[in-house]
Amino acid sequence: MTTSTLTHRLVARLRRVRWSGLVLWIVLLLLIVIPLVAFVLVAISPRLFRQGPSYFTLSNISAAFQGYTGQGILDSLWVSTLAGVFAVSFATTIAWIVQRTNIFGRRIWSGSMWLLLLVPTWMTTLGWIDVVQPGELGSALGVHTLFFYHMFFGASGIVFVNATASLPFCYFVISVGMRGLGSEFEDAARVHGASRLLTIRTVLPIIAPALLSAFAISFAETMSDFGVAFTLGSTSHFPIATYTLFNAIYAFPANFPVAAVIAAVLILSTVPPVFLQARVMRGRSYAVLSGRTKAVRRLQFSPLARIGVTAAVGIFMFFVIGLPLLGAITSSLTNSSSFITTSGIHWTFQSYRDVFNSLPSFTSLGQPLWTSSQLGIYVATGTLILAFVLAKRLASRTSGISQRIADVFLLGSIAIPGIVLGVGYIFFFDQRFITSHIVDLYETMPLLIMGLIASSVPSQARLLTGPVGQIQSSLNEAARVHGASKWRAFLTTSMPLLSRALVWAWLLTFTKTISELAIAQILYQPGHEPASVVIETYLGTIFASIGSAATVITLVEMIGVIALVLTIFRLATPKGWRRVGEAGVRS
Amino acid sequence: MSRVCTGPSRVEISEVRKKFGSKMALNGVSLVVEPGTFTVLLGPSGSGKTTLLRCLAGIEQPTSGSISIGDHIVCGGTKFVGPEKRNLSMVFQDYALWPHLTVRKNIAFPLNSSPLSKKDRVARVDNLLERVGIAHLADRYPNELSGGEQQRVALARALSAEVGLVLFDEPLSNLDADRRDQLRIEIATLTRDAGVTAVYITHDQSEAFALADRVGVLRNGELVQYSRPEKIYRHPKSAFVARFTGVSGEFAVAKVREVSNKRVEVQLPFAPHMFIEATTSENSSYDQEPHLFVRAAGVTLVPECAAEGALGVIRDVAYNGRGYEHVVEVGEKATLTKVYATDRFDRGDHVKVLFDPQSCFVMNAQEEV
Repeated sequence: MTTSTLTHRLVARLRRVRWSGLVLWIVLLLLIVIPLVAFVLVAISPRLFRQGPSYFTLSNISAAFQGYTGQGILDSLWVSTLAGVFAVSFATTIAWIVQRTNIFGRRIWSGSMWLLLLVPTWMTTLGWIDVVQPGELGSALGVHTLFFYHMFFGASGIVFVNATASLPFCYFVISVGMRGLGSEFEDAARVHGASRLLTIRTVLPIIAPALLSAFAISFAETMSDFGVAFTLGSTSHFPIATYTLFNAIYAFPANFPVAAVIAAVLILSTVPPVFLQARVMRGRSYAVLSGRTKAVRRLQFSPLARIGVTAAVGIFMFFVIGLPLLGAITSSLTNSSSFITTSGIHWTFQSYRDVFNSLPSFTSLGQPLWTSSQLGIYVATGTLILAFVLAKRLASRTSGISQRIADVFLLGSIAIPGIVLGVGYIFFFDQRFITSHIVDLYETMPLLIMGLIASSVPSQARLLTGPVGQIQSSLNEAARVHGASKWRAFLTTSMPLLSRALVWAWLLTFTKTISELAIAQILYQPGHEPASVVIETYLGTIFASIGSAATVITLVEMIGVIALVLTIFRLATPKGWRRVGEAGVRS
Repeated sequence: MSRVCTGPSRVEISEVRKKFGSKMALNGVSLVVEPGTFTVLLGPSGSGKTTLLRCLAGIEQPTSGSISIGDHIVCGGTKFVGPEKRNLSMVFQDYALWPHLTVRKNIAFPLNSSPLSKKDRVARVDNLLERVGIAHLADRYPNELSGGEQQRVALARALSAEVGLVLFDEPLSNLDADRRDQLRIEIATLTRDAGVTAVYITHDQSEAFALADRVGVLRNGELVQYSRPEKIYRHPKSAFVARFTGVSGEFAVAKVREVSNKRVEVQLPFAPHMFIEATTSENSSYDQEPHLFVRAAGVTLVPECAAEGALGVIRDVAYNGRGYEHVVEVGEKATLTKVYATDRFDRGDHVKVLFDPQSCFVMNAQEEV
């Protein structure tokens, strides 16, 4: 075989390589796989990374399961289980009432779930502290809050906040299940002699996949949550795995091998429920039970019962989301450590003014709020591009090995807690061979942006896979056949059809980023702290109200950006773009 | 290649192969479509007809072989011209109308790369809207239209660019029977009026024969016969083509005796008293397990008292508007279906069956693949 033939074959083979796929995998390896694998590897081989004397040891594993860290792992498991049970119970009840009865204000209750979804757990926790702390809102309303205060700073508070935080996920999943559950199943049970109770018992297993899925999400969310663990767990001396992981690396000397064991436990405990959920969803889709499923028949309450049930749901939702927000707002409107002073309540906007002023020993909150907003824009945009490319590959009709690996990989990556990713980054990118020979990103803004993108891409890619997969390939092919180039075909067909999903993916990533705590707490560049990190430093000080004001500003910014972007979308896009995704209009 | 029309295109497909993994979807297909003709590619699911059409459109790239459209090689060797530069348009099976664009904008889309002025484009779209009878729906969105209306939009879009070649990917398969017949006529008329070359794929033989100037029958990625519809109907090259283009009955033959060139007489096990005259195929022999294939058009029912014919019993009868279609049992496990008669024979009636030699073929039942 001549050299020219070999060269020709090599060139032909290189031409067949899908470079875009290769580049994508390199990006994913650098963003997620390599930092995490290196970090987890240190648990059994500390010497490989100059973290101990042994090339192979299991001693770190046994150490992690003892004492404070062992207690943290145990606490996390039972707290997550309990939070999951509560979240599914509450969500099932509310979903049933909203979807299957004639309750007033159905849209309001679904809307408030969206609001709850936007509010991060650390914000809810701070809001509740502003309610139950003696001298704050609760006391102002005449409630003796000391009992609740002690209750809140402990396991019950942690379970409660986590259960409410995962309530929206459970609600949306179960609602879909209930919407698909046509009334003919109930009718069949009733005409065959079943009582109301037996009817419910007969029909409920049909939405078992939805319930299981909701529990899996709630469990994984609580296991990986850092906001509550950091704000409540640390103050109440109730160890939670995510916080003990954080402690392990911030102790002196940092104990990366034990942190790696905790990280592995967190990953292992959250991945199975997520895979279980995916499997349940794939095997027994609850979205459409039957092509002939009839429209849902709603239970008609009497006028009085209807008002009563609406009031009950209203009170519950106020308790879950309204009260902590009110706590944060009222706290931000007072300029003291206590809501009630000896001379009564003093309403003032001073805390909002102080947000942008420097205080002795405290970082001004003005710059961090701006930093968070910038981060939000960079991360949301970067995530959107990467997630879209991934979603296109996942939704591709040709189901190759690369596609299947990407699918499983992304599914698993969703479950990786932010704290684990953050610690993995700080460990990997501080390695001497990286900082000296490749790139020194340690304690820089790009590293924080990379970490936040890495944590957002898996979930957003999978979220976008649905809308991308719904676009029939013939729509794009039709554009090509009728004279459009690849780029023009994308701009004129795929882009308009996906515009709504892309806008929402950007908004969700933006809001999650500006309120993100776990990765920000670990990877922030000194002197450029994001708002969530700085607000925490105000907690429990006499300047707590300034932290509350910053919290409210962050929340208002999140809602404001959503409103602004959606308004721009409405005004700037043709009518046809906005029709796609509306009821009855499919791509 | 520009998208400016220079008249109907000649299409030449030469030794085209397409592999998906280890599966050979197209195996050396060659055919020539003359300019201005309507060619229908007919075949069952998995025969490769969609793949061939997609290769022609440039949506799929053949593994080997070449394709020319007009004077241009669009595919062959290292050359591959993208779909947007092939000077063609296409009607998709699912219509592929863009849901965010109105009917008018969907139809106007191919004109974006046309040298026509804006005024001329508007005039052309208006003209097409009138021709396909959907002018009153111009400002609606696709989801506000019925299936038939959507199909008309897809047809108008394909014709709007005035390209030299229009491809049809089973465009009537999603419609109910009434609409299918009506739209089939409209497709035939509008496409021929436009003077373009058309390549149409379907698995429905009646649709193929109704539309085509030439029919290509595909099986397992190979073109097994390519000819005029009449020739395919009267002279199928193989048992597969005969079966796929519609037979009333197929019977194992007990004895064959040669009468003349291309003519034989066969004896059927259930009618040992008579010989039936039949045609042989020049491409298919009858030396191994010969079968008699009978077209419905070549069967006549006569009363039992008639002097000639094979005995049969009417098992079912259906009125089809013009007359009656019968199912006739002529022997054990041997039935003829869709046997037309202007007069009705009732279930259980004993009849005699006459066979037209032009519509009876003798071929081996099992074929080489």
